[in-house]
Amino acid sequence: MMGLFLVAALVLLAFMGLLLYRIVVGPTVIDRLLAVNVIGTKSIVILIIMGILFDRVAMFIDIALAYGLLNFIASLAAAKYFRKHKKIHHVSTMPAEVSHDH
Amino acid sequence: MLIAIEVGLLILVPCVAFVALWLRDLMSAVIVLGAYSFLMCLVWTGMGAVDVAFTEAAVGAGVSTVFFIAVLFNTTRNITFNPLDVSSKLVALVACLGFGYVLLQGVSDLPDWGDPYSPVNAGVSTYYIENAYADTHVPNLVTTVLADYRSVDTMLETTVVLIALLGIFMILKKDRPAQSDSSDTQAHDSLIIRLSARFIAPFIQLFGLYVVAHGHHSPGGGFQGGVILGTGLILMAMSMGMASAKRLLSIPRMIILAAVGVLIYAGWGAVPLVYNGYFLDYSVWESVFGSMARSHSMLIVEIGVALTVMCGMYGIYMSLVSDGGMQEGL
Repeated sequence: MMGLFLVAALVLLAFMGLLLYRIVVGPTVIDRLLAVNVIGTKSIVILIIMGILFDRVAMFIDIALAYGLLNFIASLAAAKYFRKHKKIHHVSTMPAEVSHDH
Repeated sequence: MLIAIEVGLLILVPCVAFVALWLRDLMSAVIVLGAYSFLMCLVWTGMGAVDVAFTEAAVGAGVSTVFFIAVLFNTTRNITFNPLDVSSKLVALVACLGFGYVLLQGVSDLPDWGDPYSPVNAGVSTYYIENAYADTHVPNLVTTVLADYRSVDTMLETTVVLIALLGIFMILKKDRPAQSDSSDTQAHDSLIIRLSARFIAPFIQLFGLYVVAHGHHSPGGGFQGGVILGTGLILMAMSMGMASAKRLLSIPRMIILAAVGVLIYAGWGAVPLVYNGYFLDYSVWESVFGSMARSHSMLIVEIGVALTVMCGMYGIYMSLVSDGGMQEGL
């Protein structure tokens, strides 16, 4: 049973590696925001799996709850940022590939 | 068994850190740093340091990213890079390499991780592990060390939070009160955001109170609970407008409460001085609380910490996001 959880955690970690591709390539900042959000969700699951592996789930539930409650606040702040700074958003995202080169 | 997960994290964490440095767009870099914080929390968890992981979860997941975005909101998002300006880069490179070399020299003097003969493990920590529960009746050893054995340290850390709040507040403060009535500038926000924030904010506050009050028995305590409470206020300020948040906790009241938090801590520790005890020696309270004196004292001290940290997070956010004007923000 523990082996199952360990494999699950490793598979989730591998998926995080795939999301890293989206973070690196992601043409716009919105893609990166989405990828980071998915990494956050996977972190919560891995945290609980680690709790099971440590055999102390009760301690890890609190941390996972804190993540779950606070995870979206950064996204909300980013969304409100783009509501007011629309112009900069358009300028800097269109030549995203160029901007890495200088 | 956990080593496989830790190896995976060891590959991911440097990659994410490198990506955050490599990105030219500061907004993307800030968001990627959020992912870095998620992964660091897992690293702390793998080492068994759940209280540190909790702090990383509370601070890294929400507050620090929000602070960074608030700064970007009032400054610029783009790095201007002048290829001709090489001299300052060279100075920075030499300074970084030199400082890094000095730090690496220092690291070689540190004991190995988990070394049983290191000074930390040889003396005090054995005493803490063996006697903490008998002394204080608090199951969470970390809280005991933080709020009882090394209480002066924590008291000064709380003072540092207060100083940081006052410093940011006073540097950014504008003398002229801006006349723009901001009560309706955020009124055209999405209904979904306003309603969901109003729904979830009480749960965040309730969870923060739980973390403060239950810090003796589970991971958590004043710092983490204070950050969560402050995040609830920040959420209200973001979704309902700053005027609405200031109705909940006005700026003068915020500063007074932050100072009251430190006062609770220092005052509770100063009372034993009157009864021939040491500063922050809670065992004097045994005449009031019996054998639970040190446990209850820790709770009261943690409440002081939580007050200061809550007001600190809230005040720093309000100052940063409104550029000191306290009128308009995100």
